[in-house]
Amino acid sequence: MNIVVFIKQVPDNTKLKPEQLGEAGIPREGVEMMVNPFDEYALETALRLKEAGGEGSKVSIISLGSGSAKDVVKKAIAAGGDEAFLLTDPVFLEGDNTATALALANAAKTLVPDHHMLLFGQTSLDDGTSQTGPKVAELLEYPSLTACKNAEITGESTLKIMRETERGVEFHEMTLPGVICMMKCDYELRTANIKGVMKANKTQIPVKTPADLGLSSEQVGANASTTTLTRLWQRPEKSAGIKVEEADPTVAVEQLLGFLKTQKVL
Amino acid sequence: MGFEEYKGIWVVAEASEGRSTEPAQELLTVAKELSAKLGQSISAVVLSGTSDDTTSTETLLGQLGADTVYSIKHDLLAQYQSQLYTKALSDLILAKKPNIVLFSGTPTAMDYAPRVTVRIGGGLMSNVSELSVNDNGELDGVKSCLAESMLVSYRTDKARPQMATVRGKSYATGQPDANRNAVVEVVTPELSADLAKTRLLEVQAGDTAKKKLEDADIVVSGGRGLQSAEQFVLVENLAAQLGAAVGASRAVVDAGWRPHSEQVGQTGKTVSPKLYIALGISGAIQHLVGMRTSGTIIAINRDAEAPIFKTADFGIVGDVFDVVPALVDALKKEGSPVSV
Ligand SMILES: Cc1cc2nc3c(=O)[nH]c(=O)nc-3n(C[C@H](O)[C@H](O)[C@H](O)COP(=O)(O)OP(=O)(O)OC[C@H]3O[C@@H](n4cnc5c(N)ncnc54)[C@H](O)[C@@H]3O)c2cc1C
Ligand SMILES: Nc1ncnc2c1ncn2[C@@H]1O[C@H](COP(=O)(O)O)[C@@H](O)[C@H]1O
Repeated sequence: MNIVVFIKQVPDNTKLKPEQLGEAGIPREGVEMMVNPFDEYALETALRLKEAGGEGSKVSIISLGSGSAKDVVKKAIAAGGDEAFLLTDPVFLEGDNTATALALANAAKTLVPDHHMLLFGQTSLDDGTSQTGPKVAELLEYPSLTACKNAEITGESTLKIMRETERGVEFHEMTLPGVICMMKCDYELRTANIKGVMKANKTQIPVKTPADLGLSSEQVGANASTTTLTRLWQRPEKSAGIKVEEADPTVAVEQLLGFLKTQKVL
Repeated sequence: MGFEEYKGIWVVAEASEGRSTEPAQELLTVAKELSAKLGQSISAVVLSGTSDDTTSTETLLGQLGADTVYSIKHDLLAQYQSQLYTKALSDLILAKKPNIVLFSGTPTAMDYAPRVTVRIGGGLMSNVSELSVNDNGELDGVKSCLAESMLVSYRTDKARPQMATVRGKSYATGQPDANRNAVVEVVTPELSADLAKTRLLEVQAGDTAKKKLEDADIVVSGGRGLQSAEQFVLVENLAAQLGAAVGASRAVVDAGWRPHSEQVGQTGKTVSPKLYIALGISGAIQHLVGMRTSGTIIAINRDAEAPIFKTADFGIVGDVFDVVPALVDALKKEGSPVSV
């Protein structure tokens, strides 16, 4: 079973300062970056499928981003990934998710032509469109399932997939090749061991440009984008609320109920 | 740019396998606002299996503002499958040329809506909480990004139709008008079974007696301050008293006290109820991003310095094991119905 995992490098939102949330755009320079949280679950799911798939299985990582995205793909190799590709070019970074999906679909086709399945995170922390996975599926004419929480191999080219939807927990069988987008799963993420880190340090990460993927200038960046951004601003901070430090809980509760009544909640 | 032939505002609903069409009912509220601005009619599209009874849904959608209901019916649509739903809807859009197509923000719609836009060559705004028409008659959407810390305004003006998935509960459901009727047009799509690459094996429907976290008007969440799975019953008691849904911090989910389906935050659910009560939750940024857009936020925590107090509209510095039972008692005495 050959699995491709798409991993995005995103700003670490716990380390951002308010002054970095200006109109200039989502801060990606001069801020701490991290692996998109859901992509860690996509990777963990891929590693589990590889283990279950036995001899000859491999996990390939693809990331589109700036040069610093090398850090997140190295981390994925250290955790157990076999190979990785970095799509880096200034023009890539000017694209929206339609352009990104086109680049990622071409990368999967040309860089890992023998793949059986493509794993995505459900949503990215920064753009948060939740569109990239389904769009890649459409471009490659594969089936897709979003909001997945587990995947098990059930046959030569079938997976049993668990997802959580508006109706509850659903189980689906998918005929491969296919796309699944992962939520947080119930299992723990593995941490890289020393051997993994050493392997990651030695692994060459090929860097690919639009031309390497056979993409013309019409197929990348702003030219291939379908959305137009008009404004970006910080969500207004809430003003400080009321805080009661009252030893007697009955009195505190009375004040709370009073507040809820003035708010017309009670 | 030659977009004049694209007319009408569509809202899309899935009605197979007993799916709720409530999200589509919310979409009709915003569709009516847009329709008033643009002077264009509203159509609802309902996808279902041939044997699904959609009559009452179609009637309701008409009463809520749809002028036409396109009822797309096919045996192969009885179960949700990405490629079949994509084809059925794309074909109708290509034939009828609507100006705007709105989807709900459910996992199902968010699976096939992006595919539809790739197939017909348009753009899609995701999870928008606000839609409006600008001076050029284009659709503007607002969504949050960077884990709810920023907002972005954007549009998909390069092609038609202009499409968006709308975040649940951004718009209220309207009042049905019993005198309104939609014209129902049954559409039979051309589909073949070899497109069916996924198959539903089983659904474990959630406990229907329990309020769904995403839909609840009140959420009571508990954190590590509850100290054990057994003592989490305190959260359930308050939730029961308020008719609220139960939520949890990740610490509690990771400890195995509560299921992940109840987790609120960056790697859990994003909720925006009218009232959110955080019990024994410190207020880590990853938790806050999942609930900070709630109407009124209440926190009870024994640490006066806990960050949750910065986000709370009303906070009590105290022990949950003292304050929550007192609150439940007071609410019982009050006996007043919660009016959210
Ligand atoms: C990538 C990533 C994603 C994450 N995603 C999420 C997410 O989706 N959701 C989420 O919630 N977290 C998430 N986290 C974890 C988050 O950082 C915090 O660790 C977590 O929210 C803490 O949960 P807590 O507030 O219950 O526990 P703690 O931080 O341990 O806080 C417990 C609080 O209870 C108070 N307390 C203790 N006893 C009492 C008492 N008797 N009475 C009153 N108060 C009491 C304490 O003062 C303290 O403030 C994520 C972390 C990472 C790294
Ligand atoms: N630049 C990128 N590089 C690699 N994977 C990406 C990139 N952008 C998005 N993805 C994948 O698509 C998922 C959804 O992203 P989004 O559509 O932005 O919410 C992410 O969790 C990743 O798995």
